[in-house]
Amino acid sequence: DRQTLMAVLQFLRRSNLRESEEILRREARLLGDDLSAAALSPAGAALLGGPGGDADSGGEALLSRVTAAAAIAIGSSVATVASSSPGVAAVAAVPPGKGGARAGAAGSLPGAGGRLLPAGPRGLEGLCASRSLGGIVVEDQPDVSAVLSAYNQQGDPTLYEEYYSGLKHFIECSLDCHRAELSQLFYPLFVHMYLELVYNQHESEAKSFFERFHGDQECYYQDDLRVLSSLTKKEHMKGNETMLDFRTSKFVLRISRDSYQLLKRHLQEKQNNQIWNIVQEHLYIDIFDGMPRSKQQIDAMVGSLAGEAKREANKAKVFFGLLKEPEFDVPLDDEDEEGENEEGKPKKKKPKKDSVGSKSKKQDPNAPPQNRIPLPELKDSDKLDKVMNMKEAARRVRLGPECLPSICFYTFLNAYQGLTAVDITDDSSMIVGGFADSTVRVWSVTPKKLRSVKTAADLSLIDKESDDVLERIMDEKTASELKILYGHSGPVYGTSFSPDRNYLLSCSEDGTVRLWSLQTFTCLVGYKGHNYPVWDTQFSPYGYYFVSGGHDRVARLWATDHYQPLRIFAGHLADVTCTRFHPNSNYIATGSADRTVRLWDVLNGNCVRIFTGHKGPIHSLAFSPNGRFLATGATDGRVLLWDIGHGLMVGELKGHTDTIYALRFSRDGEILASGSMDNTVRLWDAVKAFEDLETDDFTTATGHINLPENSQDLLLGTYMTKSTPVVHLHFTRRNLLLAAGAYSSQ
Amino acid sequence: YVTTILEDAKIYSSHAKKSSVDADDVRLAIQCRTDQSFTSPPPRDFLLDIARQKNQTPLPLIKPYSGPRLPPDRYCLTAPNYRLKSMQKKVSSSAGRITVPRLSVGAVSSRPSTPTLGTPSAQTVSVSTKVGTPVSLAGQRFTVQIPSSQAAVKSATPTTPTVQNVLINPSLIGPKNILITTNMVSSQNTSNESNPLKRKHDDDDDYDNL
Repeated sequence: DRQTLMAVLQFLRRSNLRESEEILRREARLLGDDLSAAALSPAGAALLGGPGGDADSGGEALLSRVTAAAAIAIGSSVATVASSSPGVAAVAAVPPGKGGARAGAAGSLPGAGGRLLPAGPRGLEGLCASRSLGGIVVEDQPDVSAVLSAYNQQGDPTLYEEYYSGLKHFIECSLDCHRAELSQLFYPLFVHMYLELVYNQHESEAKSFFERFHGDQECYYQDDLRVLSSLTKKEHMKGNETMLDFRTSKFVLRISRDSYQLLKRHLQEKQNNQIWNIVQEHLYIDIFDGMPRSKQQIDAMVGSLAGEAKREANKAKVFFGLLKEPEFDVPLDDEDEEGENEEGKPKKKKPKKDSVGSKSKKQDPNAPPQNRIPLPELKDSDKLDKVMNMKEAARRVRLGPECLPSICFYTFLNAYQGLTAVDITDDSSMIVGGFADSTVRVWSVTPKKLRSVKTAADLSLIDKESDDVLERIMDEKTASELKILYGHSGPVYGTSFSPDRNYLLSCSEDGTVRLWSLQTFTCLVGYKGHNYPVWDTQFSPYGYYFVSGGHDRVARLWATDHYQPLRIFAGHLADVTCTRFHPNSNYIATGSADRTVRLWDVLNGNCVRIFTGHKGPIHSLAFSPNGRFLATGATDGRVLLWDIGHGLMVGELKGHTDTIYALRFSRDGEILASGSMDNTVRLWDAVKAFEDLETDDFTTATGHINLPENSQDLLLGTYMTKSTPVVHLHFTRRNLLLAAGAYSSQ
Repeated sequence: YVTTILEDAKIYSSHAKKSSVDADDVRLAIQCRTDQSFTSPPPRDFLLDIARQKNQTPLPLIKPYSGPRLPPDRYCLTAPNYRLKSMQKKVSSSAGRITVPRLSVGAVSSRPSTPTLGTPSAQTVSVSTKVGTPVSLAGQRFTVQIPSSQAAVKSATPTTPTVQNVLINPSLIGPKNILITTNMVSSQNTSNESNPLKRKHDDDDDYDNL
């Protein structure tokens, strides 16, 4: 009791509520300042939360006990709520409206607490207010039923419309600079109030509430509102996982301190504090010091199902650098010497080292250590591949605004809207299509046909020592341009070749991910873990690991030799629609139908970045070759560019008019190509988009960047197809752009 | 749908010894049916919980020089799921010789699902000529499913050698209920390589009794 008293006193002192503090101290009969000071300092230290919105868990726990004690003493019926999310719910249980209970309980509280109430109802309110200044945060997931039952305690359902329109009036009359920020409140409040009405089975009030106010919401929330309009009964809510997640997670809003003060003052003046309760229970207000944001800035960042991202969600260190390529000897061919110019000749005797690896001996501070995650060792075939890669890289065309790539389009004919996934190998030798009839078809792009290895009988007959043994093991009788792989029992939504071209992955609506061998063209393994459709899968750039994401809202990391996933990345509120590995294989980006993009650490499964800003489900992700940037495309037709290290949005490319299903950076990162359902491929200048990043303290602290409206400048070209949506893009090693899609006649 | 629900509701109300079916029974009937037919993905707290557990274990180290990195055989689909038995009741150990016109009991691979019970798409059937089943069959029951197999075998793509005369002895069917699912099987070399690693068992004697 004494400790909690100290804590309360300290807090009142910090909040300059001297009057209440004096009263409290007098009642508690504390001796002088020295005693209190001595006692207060350890407690005070515990209470000093971080500035600007960070909640200190120690202080919170103390205060929660205080407020919980107050709540219980008041005799309110929300003891259950108090037990679940202590700080939040208990504070919510002390609206000044409960005057009747207060009088009765005045005598029952022990010691100073009892006197606290009548003497300082404002004090306690001030306590709540000052506490909530920090933004009440409960990090743990509250028990679902407890949170749902929190809906029980609310006020008169018929007054909800009045509360909401009162708030609307207030916000519309506020100053321009604050209005944009405060308008962010409309949508979460609307949804929560509506859901409360539905949960408490006030159907007619819910319906009229919805009718009256749903038109006021922002245009980018229309899809959600449509889903919401179909939720009219309490039973409907139980089956909808996304809505449940929406209610149990806190909607994050970023508001400047000034705007927040304004809001708080207004809501506390009113006697009906229904809205205040909802704000405290369901919203997390991330307060920052500084200029309020403009509507344009806000519109760029909002849109996701759970609001924006908290600042501390994007503060973890991310190793976005690339792993060092191993140095090894490359025998110089005669034909290469001409291309080498003067460098090659003096180095004739010296073996040529890999250019990337030899740049610096020092470790790039942004690159992960080589052994951070176990990676498979390089086999001889891999080394040969790398040599080929380097040779091709030497012949690569340097792209730029003056030198645009040629685009070669592979059209799938007679697919009848059945083409659902495409992938091309890194050396552009094979192309695979996943279809809605659950087949996977592999074609050879080069004149060389696809062959499978011979039977065991024949293999034992060949000469293993001959030079061309790799040719001899192939069975000529099986040569064909097309191989069809059967096995899935549902449409195939994602395909991925392994970097060594030995394996092919495909994931499907039947919930499995299948590994196929490209040497025998048969299925090797079926990985079962998602029991729901799997929307995307990808091999790691080094092979061995692969990631899959599906309808069950998680992404899983697998290794080819484990039948169960190694990591589960849970956190999205809706289906994971797109999964990509970072070039250094240490991070995985997932895009989801909840309109956020998350970056996960493979080592420990933590979410290290949350990017909000898209207004529709994300369908394409692309990492830049240097690993620093991420480009994302969604159904809203915008391509957003993100700086991974700082966790900021650095660019917005407008131009497409329909869902963007394909994004790819050129081999050296100079050009970003995007392909969309609007039958176009657009090329953007990536170098220009990423230069001149302002990263001063304010932007890193608040995450607000003024995005320049330069989409038109960055657009280098728009290329239309003949009514063929673009499903896949691939830059060959020489920077020729390959695109793929299925011709659709409508 | 409505008939089913009402019948269920009648059962529930009679179980509760009520005189007539009322709204609660119907509600219960609807709920039970939707739980059976429509499942929704697990709730978020459950997912976070299992994710936390799974993510605690460190990533396993990768053994070098381990050839194709695949899960243990029982989790792969590389096993042959039937075996060809020689007429002479002698196990033919030489690979590559097709000795059998008679198809005997098929081994159903134990763990992975045998996907195709019903999809009409033709399977590429690659017949294993090596004798040796991956799983011990003692005491297990199997059922024969014939129709697709013969069609599939006949229409097997030229990429895989077909076995002539794959006859299924009708005497195998009947009391014992033997199942052969003719899924595709990986080609011979993998099965040949994997067989030495499989458990040895005396299989012939079991099947002779059929």
